[in-house]
Amino acid sequence: MKIINKLFYYLIRFYQKYLTILSFGSCRYHPSCSSYAIMQFEHNNFFIAFYRSIFRILRCNPLSDGGFDYPTTKGKFTKGEFKRIRVKYWYVPKDKNNYFILQNWKINNQDKPTNVNE
Amino acid sequence: MSMNNNQNKQDTQKRILLATLISFVFFIAYDFLYLQPQQQAQMQYAKEHPKVDSKNVNVNSVDTNTVGLAKTNAIPNIKEVNKETIASTITTMNAIYEIDSLGRIAQVTLREKKYVDEEGKSLKLFNSTQLKPLEVRFADAALNKKAFDTVVSVSSNKLEVLNNSQVLTITQNLGTTVLTKKIEFFADGHYKLNISTSNNQNYFITPGYRPDIAADMYANHGALLMKNDATIEMIKDEDMDNATELVGIQAASAFDRYYTTVLYNFDKNMQVSVMKSKDDSPESFIHVANKALLYGYAGPKEYKLLKSFNPQLTHIIEYGWFTFLAKPMFVMLQYIHNIVGNWGWAIIITTILLKLVLSPLSHKGMVSMNRLKELAPKIKQIQEKYKDDKQKASMHMMELYKKEGANPMGGCLPIILQIPIFFSIYRVLLNSIELKGADWIWFVQDLTHKVSMSNLMDPYIIIPILMGATMFIQQKITPNQMQDETQRKMFMMLPFVFTIFFIFFEAGLVIYWTVNNIFTISQQYYINKMFETQREERAKAHDAKKSHKGK
Repeated sequence: MKIINKLFYYLIRFYQKYLTILSFGSCRYHPSCSSYAIMQFEHNNFFIAFYRSIFRILRCNPLSDGGFDYPTTKGKFTKGEFKRIRVKYWYVPKDKNNYFILQNWKINNQDKPTNVNE
Repeated sequence: MSMNNNQNKQDTQKRILLATLISFVFFIAYDFLYLQPQQQAQMQYAKEHPKVDSKNVNVNSVDTNTVGLAKTNAIPNIKEVNKETIASTITTMNAIYEIDSLGRIAQVTLREKKYVDEEGKSLKLFNSTQLKPLEVRFADAALNKKAFDTVVSVSSNKLEVLNNSQVLTITQNLGTTVLTKKIEFFADGHYKLNISTSNNQNYFITPGYRPDIAADMYANHGALLMKNDATIEMIKDEDMDNATELVGIQAASAFDRYYTTVLYNFDKNMQVSVMKSKDDSPESFIHVANKALLYGYAGPKEYKLLKSFNPQLTHIIEYGWFTFLAKPMFVMLQYIHNIVGNWGWAIIITTILLKLVLSPLSHKGMVSMNRLKELAPKIKQIQEKYKDDKQKASMHMMELYKKEGANPMGGCLPIILQIPIFFSIYRVLLNSIELKGADWIWFVQDLTHKVSMSNLMDPYIIIPILMGATMFIQQKITPNQMQDETQRKMFMMLPFVFTIFFIFFEAGLVIYWTVNNIFTISQQYYINKMFETQREERAKAHDAKKSHKGK
């Protein structure tokens, strides 16, 4: 992650940890806007991630239907190595170049997750 | 597993409590240890260095700054003449301008009632030891030295400009060169300056050092230059670094939170040098070749007044980086103030109008939220089942909503929209001279008043308490899906936390938040009632059907 992406990543993490009580149970989407933004900043370049996150928040209002809306990224996968990994994200093909990013179900906190992407 | 879960919950609770506590401690400490001493130091300074009445005081050899520009047009050093007497006094409708024996504006005293303190002392804009507006420095060093040793002659030593404009001519005879300043004063306090030399000299003229009344940590102060492409170059006092030169300037202002001294001409493109003053603040010098036409003003940054001089001049009122939203907010508040004549009511009406504009959004949100009551048992089931994995719970919840064809959440946008509205009102209260000391009703005599740490018995504390109460009621009547006991407790504490937080904010801002809550409560109440009657009707219809079938 680039530094600016990292900054936004930690800002949103901070919000998730300490401030969600203020906006509890508002999001009309899964994953929630903050999770969506985090995944965006983890996978895409800053401008795309920022634009998509803002656009997601704009859509997250009572006039839209809400529902399932997964972030996407252009996949650039290296060949898999034969070792034990912890899965953090699943990448589900959307079309030729793009993949949906799905968070794996709860992973054990004691092990540091390894990202399969690159 | 459940032990572990409990542990987790307690951790979360502790974390959130700790975060809240830390932010409070930080906020209060910042106010107490930093802002308050700053203000006290300033008051102390003001006491020790009273704004001297220049009529009877000798200011000995003020050492004006060293200018490091190694150019032909460098602004030279000067030593000031020893005697400083007032050559002319101009009284306008709202100010008294005093011109000193070197043809500069020595002091501006504000006449309006709101600028007179309890002891009957009028507000004086300038610190007499600093650079004065309309000071001229010649590019020619010898000529410059002479200019600071030569007393000017004025066409009149007293002018009363209460209706039509009047002209004061200041001439300074420097032997080979004669400098002439023709200043036309207008009753509203601004002036038009025609400046020229008899033999094509190059020189610099300044709007002076910024007013020194409200230069505090709460808002910006320094120099502000407007360019011909409508952009603004602001140099805050603390950011003043090296001397710079700017071109295409149409207005040069030196300002503190509420007051300005400005020279402008929106038909010209001027070259301006920004120099470091002796206390490292920026000072602007406009380059003039032989002659120039300039307009000027020194006084409060009142929107209406500046607009009447020149609409473009309103851009010198700045609200920090948030100007782009704070300014429209101010314009709206002022529009309503013009109708109702009271800033407190203007804030309240603006709040209600904003809520009305956003009400289609919030109405729809509230209506869908009422579905929560019906879905509650199923939501509880899901939350129980997946309490260890929030992601999974959220996904299943979304599946449920899809199945039921209803999304009970209000959305993130309505919550985020609150932030810019809140912040723009905050900035307007901080920076607008119009709102300083503006009253509302009853004991609320100043909408910018804050309860201080040392005086918690202040009656103004009623407003944040009222705010807390409305927030509490709002929470009570809003349906929510919080099943988790810890979260619920935290949530219930919020009105209390917000009350404490809001104690240290401007009264006007707390009033905004309170009215905001009251509006939400009424809207929610109306929708709850609507749903109740619907439910009753449905139940009745159902009963009627049943009894019909039974027959």
